[in-house]
Amino acid sequence: MDHRPQAWGRPRDDVYGAYDASYLHSNTPKTATQSPVVTGTSVVGLKFADGVVIAADNLASYGSLARFTDVKRLRVFLDSSVVGFGGDVSDMQYLDRHLNELAIDEAYDHLTPDSSASKTASLNAANLYKYLQKLMYARRNDFDPLWNQILVAGLDGAQKPFLGSVDLRGTSFTSPSLATGYGAMLAQPIMRRVAATEEDAARLTREQAVDVVKECMKVLFYRDARSLDRYSIAVVTKDGIELKEDEQLEKQSWAFAERIRGYGTQTV
Amino acid sequence: MTSIGTGYDLANSIFSPDGRNFQVEYAVKAVENGGTSIGIRCKEGVVLAVEKVVASKLLKPGANKRIATVDRHIGVVYSGMVPDGRHFVDRARDEARSWRDTFKTPIPTADLASRMGGYMQAYTLYQSVRPFGITAIVGGFDSELEAPVDGEVGRGPSVGAGGKNPDKKHGGPFLYMIEPSGLYWGYYGAATGKGRQAAKAELEKLDLKGGADMSLLEAVKEAARIIHVAHDDSNDKEFELEMSWISGADGPTKGRHVEVPKEIREEAERLAKELLQDSSDEDNDKSSDKMEE
Amino acid sequence: MFRNNYDNDSVTFSPQGRIFQVEYAAEAVKQGSVVVGIASKTHAVLVAIKRNAEELSSYQKKLFPIDEHVGIAIAGLTSDARVLSNFMKQQCLGHRLTFGRNMPVRSLVDMIGSKAQINTQHYGKRPYGVGLLVAGVDESGPHLFEFQPSGMTEEMVAFAIGARSQMARTYLEKNLAAFAACGREELVRHGLKALKESLVQDKELTVENTSVAIVGLGKDKDGNPKPEPFKVFDGQDVNAWIESVADDKEAAAAEGAEEGMDVDG
Repeated sequence: MDHRPQAWGRPRDDVYGAYDASYLHSNTPKTATQSPVVTGTSVVGLKFADGVVIAADNLASYGSLARFTDVKRLRVFLDSSVVGFGGDVSDMQYLDRHLNELAIDEAYDHLTPDSSASKTASLNAANLYKYLQKLMYARRNDFDPLWNQILVAGLDGAQKPFLGSVDLRGTSFTSPSLATGYGAMLAQPIMRRVAATEEDAARLTREQAVDVVKECMKVLFYRDARSLDRYSIAVVTKDGIELKEDEQLEKQSWAFAERIRGYGTQTV
Repeated sequence: MTSIGTGYDLANSIFSPDGRNFQVEYAVKAVENGGTSIGIRCKEGVVLAVEKVVASKLLKPGANKRIATVDRHIGVVYSGMVPDGRHFVDRARDEARSWRDTFKTPIPTADLASRMGGYMQAYTLYQSVRPFGITAIVGGFDSELEAPVDGEVGRGPSVGAGGKNPDKKHGGPFLYMIEPSGLYWGYYGAATGKGRQAAKAELEKLDLKGGADMSLLEAVKEAARIIHVAHDDSNDKEFELEMSWISGADGPTKGRHVEVPKEIREEAERLAKELLQDSSDEDNDKSSDKMEE
Repeated sequence: MFRNNYDNDSVTFSPQGRIFQVEYAAEAVKQGSVVVGIASKTHAVLVAIKRNAEELSSYQKKLFPIDEHVGIAIAGLTSDARVLSNFMKQQCLGHRLTFGRNMPVRSLVDMIGSKAQINTQHYGKRPYGVGLLVAGVDESGPHLFEFQPSGMTEEMVAFAIGARSQMARTYLEKNLAAFAACGREELVRHGLKALKESLVQDKELTVENTSVAIVGLGKDKDGNPKPEPFKVFDGQDVNAWIESVADDKEAAAAEGAEEGMDVDG
């Protein structure tokens, strides 16, 4: 019999057979996030003459269930940029905390945060975009991606409007108008009607840009089943950020729905 | 120097037969050579101030900050060996960050003081390190509002579990001073560095502990005055005054640790110089009276 | 053998609260040849005297680029400087890669300050035996920093370190008020004049022993701000500057007063 202390109190091998430890060594590869769980849908962004408009609705869905209806998906960074998150909400929270720490680090050397010198010397939207790009790409190379598509809105080093997109694979690009998720299909054409090029966008007024983005949010609410009619919208300019987090879609008209045939329970 | 030598002061963490750690005492000497730092705690917040001796004309005026932000709501000022102070600040920032990582909330000032006290103390324990040549003053304002959780996305439930109790009072201003031994206490008014004796005497006159409700703005003016009083005009070189403050969410800094705005600092400094001038005039008058008698 | 019992290592305080090992390391800086740095509103310059060990040997480099926007001047142990310089290069490169911008000069200097401080608090380590002048531009403009073996780092308007640097500092203090408004040429000439103050008797600035480095705010073709990258000038490239501060030229310049020399790119 085995009298070693590590065998004390264990079923005897000669009676029960050796302990089957095979379950401890699984043969499957290590897996990380395979899919998002609680998700936010589209984020839309549009540049105009002296700034950027960005919007996202306040819904976090659990599959097709509208699970949380007051979720803020636009996040302010250093009072100078806005980051909009689509995709997994818990990964968004992780990124939000991470960016919060980055903002605290960045503020160490700016004891007087309001001074103009400290504003221009801080991380701007272009820097933040670059950082997120590296972060997301590093995570995808670890096969543990953060399941988000992100828009970064703000100003670049030359104080010109900046709008960039980064996704869970680290793919990144900039454009006068950007949208994530369903918005890439439904909102982009609407925004491109007014801002197909940088030059077009530079001619847009703030009011025009806000109107177009609101129109996009409405179309998305009409056609995207994972969307909500309450949303957040932010305008970033040299003068700062105007963020409204509890907006209601106005002047909805569902008349078009009458004309839609071929879905649901209609019989005619 | 009293009772030095006999071999017990040549290495850190060694007790002398009468129970002293000489190396820690010598570290305190390094502090006592440094520019004066003070902290004032009043109901509305905390003010930190430091006398920066201008060692060379070639230094860029106003560019070299000695008060550091540790987290949004906490500031640190120190007297003694400046590189040691920077190390202290780096560590404090790491502590604040790790607290945020773990608890998803800003570190309370008391907990930061405790952690940093522990850190300083650890440097008195081993022969392989030396104690910190600084005394640090840590000031903070813990949010009196329901603490927002980092990464919070929605409002959460308004009733039931997670519901908020609007009547409960949290947070407030805090001030701590940590010595090279790792010893720390909470203070109403703290002073360290070369001019600490004079500064302490002035702080004690303010009745910070008693009912006197000093406003934050008054505290700034007092801080400026005390630094000027503590400065020894006859022996010391010129100095720069640096001041920072932290108020509650409804105060001028909105709960953040920031530099006192230039206009307010200059006004406080002007008043301080005026008061100093007046009191020295009085002294002169008195002495001339005596002469006449 | 030792000056006292308290100067064997960097983890022992003297009864006065001093750390002799760190002070001795500061002496090593004074063994190096002199370097001068000056910053204006638009530029930061470094100038240095290079030494040669013997007549036939080459001259020891004193000025080193770190990144596009920063460079250093060294005085003291060159090999210690190389360690710091490599570290600074890596930090700048890493910052550029992750954020797509010039690393703020203060952050960079703070990092070597923290690194150096560790060496003054742990047994078995020694302080760096080198002093640096760090010149650079970032989003908040041109900067000049001094780094000491103690880990002390301070931003200066102008400074000089190394052998006989006190004379150079005296020159800089005298002309302090003029620097902020100087253009790049003028700044270099101030630097060289300060350098001359520190030269030993009957030594002179030559194309062999003089180095100049410049970094500054500049403009591209369209007039947009674009930094003038940190560049070191040696040999014939510094000849014109040396001649412009030659003693006889100085006298002539004093008569002709402010003639054409203050060309600013």
